[in-house]
Amino acid sequence: MVEAEVEDKRITLKEAAKLINDGAHLFWGGFGFQRPPMALAHELVRQKKRNLTIYTCGSEMDIDILSGAYVVSRFELAFYAIEGIGLAPNIQRRIREGAVQIEDYTNLAMALRFLGGALGVPFMPLKSMLGTDLLAKTRFRSKKAEVITCPFTGEKVVLVPSVRPDFSIVHVSRVDMEGNAQIDGIKGEDVEGARAGKKVIVLAEEIVDTELIRSQPDQTAIPNIYVDYVVESPWGAYPMMVYNYYDYDMEHVRMYYQQCKTEEGWQKYCEEYITSVEDHTEFLKKIGMERLMKLKAKKPFPY
Amino acid sequence: MKNNYVKLGEFTTLELMAVCGARAIKNGEVVFVGTGLPMIAAMLAKRTHAPKAKIVYEAGFIDSNAKDIALSIADSRLGYRASAAIGLIETLGLMLQGGHVDVGFVGAAQIDEYGNINTTYIGSFENPTVRLPGSGGGNDIISSAKRIIVIMTHEKRKMVKKLDYLTSPGFLDGPGAREKAGLLGGGPSLVVTNLCQMDFDPQTKRIRLATVHPGVTVQDVKENSGFDFIIPEHVPTTELPTYDELNILRAIDPHGIYIPRPDQTK
Repeated sequence: MVEAEVEDKRITLKEAAKLINDGAHLFWGGFGFQRPPMALAHELVRQKKRNLTIYTCGSEMDIDILSGAYVVSRFELAFYAIEGIGLAPNIQRRIREGAVQIEDYTNLAMALRFLGGALGVPFMPLKSMLGTDLLAKTRFRSKKAEVITCPFTGEKVVLVPSVRPDFSIVHVSRVDMEGNAQIDGIKGEDVEGARAGKKVIVLAEEIVDTELIRSQPDQTAIPNIYVDYVVESPWGAYPMMVYNYYDYDMEHVRMYYQQCKTEEGWQKYCEEYITSVEDHTEFLKKIGMERLMKLKAKKPFPY
Repeated sequence: MKNNYVKLGEFTTLELMAVCGARAIKNGEVVFVGTGLPMIAAMLAKRTHAPKAKIVYEAGFIDSNAKDIALSIADSRLGYRASAAIGLIETLGLMLQGGHVDVGFVGAAQIDEYGNINTTYIGSFENPTVRLPGSGGGNDIISSAKRIIVIMTHEKRKMVKKLDYLTSPGFLDGPGAREKAGLLGGGPSLVVTNLCQMDFDPQTKRIRLATVHPGVTVQDVKENSGFDFIIPEHVPTTELPTYDELNILRAIDPHGIYIPRPDQTK
């Protein structure tokens, strides 16, 4: 028997960020405090990317950082805040300045837009948004959604445009070097989102031997067929959480929130934790091993 | 034990609100909840009169039995003894829009007299003074759950004649409007505030005073409302929490993350 050679799709975090040109459109994975691609957000800030458009359901500190650093100018999303604490401070400021614009959808609408993109159909139907300003008011799209009468039943249905972004970015639990990705815990909209992009970059807490993946193939959320690049990114969602890996660091998140209430405070945070460090490893060193170890999931609990 | 009510001064308004919310959940119901007070109220319902209620969180945790307080709707804590951890297409699409959700339990920044809700902008759409978190799954839940419980603080600027932005559909502009718009769910059924409980008149679909909390008068509710509401001839006082309810509630949130006890200041 001839052993198939395992394809190696690994690149570094820096190389991944370099692939993303100014003006690119991204699906941005993770949901709420769970598995945001924080390490890549930092690297996009360090590489001074500009004018990106992000499609996501609900994200928090990660997209607040991308807004604060003028990396992203447009969002199509359903939700942003720093849950349990307050409104995302940098986005508020950038909206007032006119530097960031948001097209509002619902979580189901966004998830279906990704599913539509992944399925290769131009739109998806749903029964949300009806009768509300989500339908009546449009920010920057030429067409945001359309109500039609179902040709089969006569009932009213909303159509939302599918999304096929330039890149899909997801941060997962584990992946092998050919791109088979497994996600522990909730998947949010990442299963559909990862299949919507023209190019797919998977960041992962750990890169494992393909034998592990192939011993538990039912756990694979994103098969390698969809995946173009793999990035090893341990603690890549810190200070947010990864199911079965680590808890969030609320002390750090609260400090971020308090400090970013002013532009000066944000600039200070950005310099201290993002632009003055070489990479994510340096950032983690700054946080300190002792602090990180306290956040490690205490099995059998996933946090 | 059923009427073992606590005395005035032994509980806070937030605790009473959580108890009101919990009591509105029936045993065996599928409840779709947000974080904060709705989550605490649903956990309380499960540990008191509704052990067979199933709590679903939109990020993908299904039939959650969390033992610790979560800060995010996607918090790993919600995975504790859940029956499944899937994703949004599952929860908001197949489960909710598919017709399996009995109750949606949400918060609101603004509400009008038909129970329409704003969670997106304060000020104008063109030049908002505050950009709130947005719909998230709120619009989906309020569009498609069989009924909706809203929990919020009662202030003139929040109970308004006209919303700054209509994020989620109550009864829109009155009877028949939800059906005409093509909405699947039954719309709002109960609004729990720090002053009172309100429901909706079945004929006009307008908001109606149901009970006032102990020590609150109808006049207090009027003075803190920017909209007109129906006042029935008889408005009972809200049923007090029982010692059982209060003790269980305090055990759910021992550090007072969402509901500080009288002796806890945030």
